[in-house]
Amino acid sequence: MISWDHFNWFAGVTLGCWTVSFVNILLNKKILWAQVFTAIGFISYGLFIALLWINLERPPMRTMGETRLWYSFFLVLVGYITYAKWQYKWMLSYSLFVAMIFVIVNILKPEIHSKNLMPALQSIWFVPHVTAYILSYAILGAATIVGLKQLYQYDENDKLIDFTDNLVYIGFGLLMLGMLMGAVWAKAAWGHYWSWDPKETWAFVTAAAYLFYIHIRWNNHYRKTALWMLVIAFICLMITWKGVNYLPSAKNSVHVYGQQ
Amino acid sequence: MTNKQIKKPIWQKPWHFTETILIVVGIYLVGMVLQLSVGTFKFSNLAWPLNIIIGGSGIVLILLLSLRKQSSFFQWLSGVPFSVTLIAALIIQTIIMGITPQLAGALTHKPTVFDTLGFTRMTSSWPFILIYFFTILALTAAILNRLRIPKWRDYAFYLNHIGLLIFLFASGFGASDMKRYVMYVEENAEMPEWRVYSENKDVLELPIAISLKDFIMEEYAPKLTIIGRESGKSIPEKDPAYFQLADKKTDIEIEGWTIKVDSFIMDAVRNSDKSYREIHMPGSCPAALVTVQEKATGKKISGWVCCGNYAQLYMPLMISDKYSLVMTRPEAKRFASDIEVVAASGEKVSTTLEVNKPLKMGNWTIYQYGYDNDAGKASNYSSFELVYDPWLNAVYFGIILCALGSLCLFWIGNKKRKERNND
Repeated sequence: MISWDHFNWFAGVTLGCWTVSFVNILLNKKILWAQVFTAIGFISYGLFIALLWINLERPPMRTMGETRLWYSFFLVLVGYITYAKWQYKWMLSYSLFVAMIFVIVNILKPEIHSKNLMPALQSIWFVPHVTAYILSYAILGAATIVGLKQLYQYDENDKLIDFTDNLVYIGFGLLMLGMLMGAVWAKAAWGHYWSWDPKETWAFVTAAAYLFYIHIRWNNHYRKTALWMLVIAFICLMITWKGVNYLPSAKNSVHVYGQQ
Repeated sequence: MTNKQIKKPIWQKPWHFTETILIVVGIYLVGMVLQLSVGTFKFSNLAWPLNIIIGGSGIVLILLLSLRKQSSFFQWLSGVPFSVTLIAALIIQTIIMGITPQLAGALTHKPTVFDTLGFTRMTSSWPFILIYFFTILALTAAILNRLRIPKWRDYAFYLNHIGLLIFLFASGFGASDMKRYVMYVEENAEMPEWRVYSENKDVLELPIAISLKDFIMEEYAPKLTIIGRESGKSIPEKDPAYFQLADKKTDIEIEGWTIKVDSFIMDAVRNSDKSYREIHMPGSCPAALVTVQEKATGKKISGWVCCGNYAQLYMPLMISDKYSLVMTRPEAKRFASDIEVVAASGEKVSTTLEVNKPLKMGNWTIYQYGYDNDAGKASNYSSFELVYDPWLNAVYFGIILCALGSLCLFWIGNKKRKERNND
């Protein structure tokens, strides 16, 4: 049976392949081999997630280590789709790079726990809620990469900022879906759809920050303010996802799982 | 387009960010003055019908304003600077809220500066309430502005903004009408229970009565772990290792000890000696026969471990002067209550209530809440949470509209803005 004990084998294949494609993208103009290796690494990683899911008899979405699995998975997927559609080579290499960091974090500090799923998490909303969020995080992560590139090399041309807007719209749409499904689920599990639990508060901050970006971009003014907000929004997103567990306000949070 | 606005004296219309930021700071300061003079906002003072009167008047006022032709004030109210600045104000307040531990119930200590400023009860603080109220007004204005010349292609805007308005109105103003109680019901009691505890632990009587026919609980198999005999903490302390019983049949290694499970019984009762046998009865408890070998010395220790419960003793296995092998208490897999609910109207419902599967009766929703944690499976009572929320359907309606609007964002992207700019 496949468990976390076998992670290093699959992750090793993935890291090897993705490193080859990363270097290939940097060195070559044509990146056919990079695409092939990206795909092999992606399949190896996806296979591990699928087998882990089967072995755990529950979706591997509960612990930090488990959500990081999905993050790398989706980030590379988004990076590749972006490359395929707009031919942004750098987008593929950046997402490979960030995805590899998360793979390495999982090798060094897996934060894995038992297969027990507490009753509140046994719900039909579990998988769509977490998937929507992680996919949204991956897309907004990609938007941040594009945003940082523009802050670093300011570009009067509209092409990149339009692309950023597109990513933010899609990422925000998923973020909202994840949040709304979470609200419906919370109503069924905890009696209220919104309790201002620390994780919920930070999810609100994150959503509001992207809402700020979307609204301030409405007339195509204030490009720099918007781009800086994109960075702040992503910091808030990271606090929601990971940082909340360490805040003093979160010591009674109902959203802190997998710590026993 | 450039980032430069045409220079104009401040307060001359149309207002831009400078004026807007000053106005929103003004709203915040008014809220702060109220906070310091009146104290925390009490939602109960805004119960039906006052909430609909105040909220409704705000919306009607905006509606009247929208009827005036070419009102630059209305344009400002529905415009981007006001919405962006309000969002920024909400972000700042919720960030403070995200860092400051929030309080529920009555204050038990001497108020600190944070308490006085309302930071520890952010959603009940006057500045937050005022910003919320102006957000409702701005949202209404933005929708009405767009409705002056309704266009089909604005469907995503309508879904998102009308959905959000309904959701914010029903969840915010509706909070005043919401009630939450906890009811403790004994198994097979003579009379159905109708007394509940409020959040302030007051006892009240409700027009709903519940009788508990059976409390059902399933548990996961427990785990094995090695603890320091003095610290009581699992090792390795940084990343404690737990061995899930019945999970893998292989041996496990923790910090130089190999643990082998010779037998595991989920429902065990202790014999007169130190061994256990399988008996399915109340008070039975998981137990395992294990052999632990220290790798360095090859020394083997064998014995029973048991996590213990209200009826049976906890049994650790001492493996050295410093460490013991112990079994953790099993975690709940599922707990449910077989109940009968009778409403004052005479309506009777029999159902099995469990986590994530509440029962809705009119404006009431009944939840499986808890049980006697010490007794676990043998708990002779079950507790339920009863939530009254007459605004819930409106909230769901808002959620559905927003969800549809979010789906539209996938293909709309920023196309809309460009079309608008080309108009």
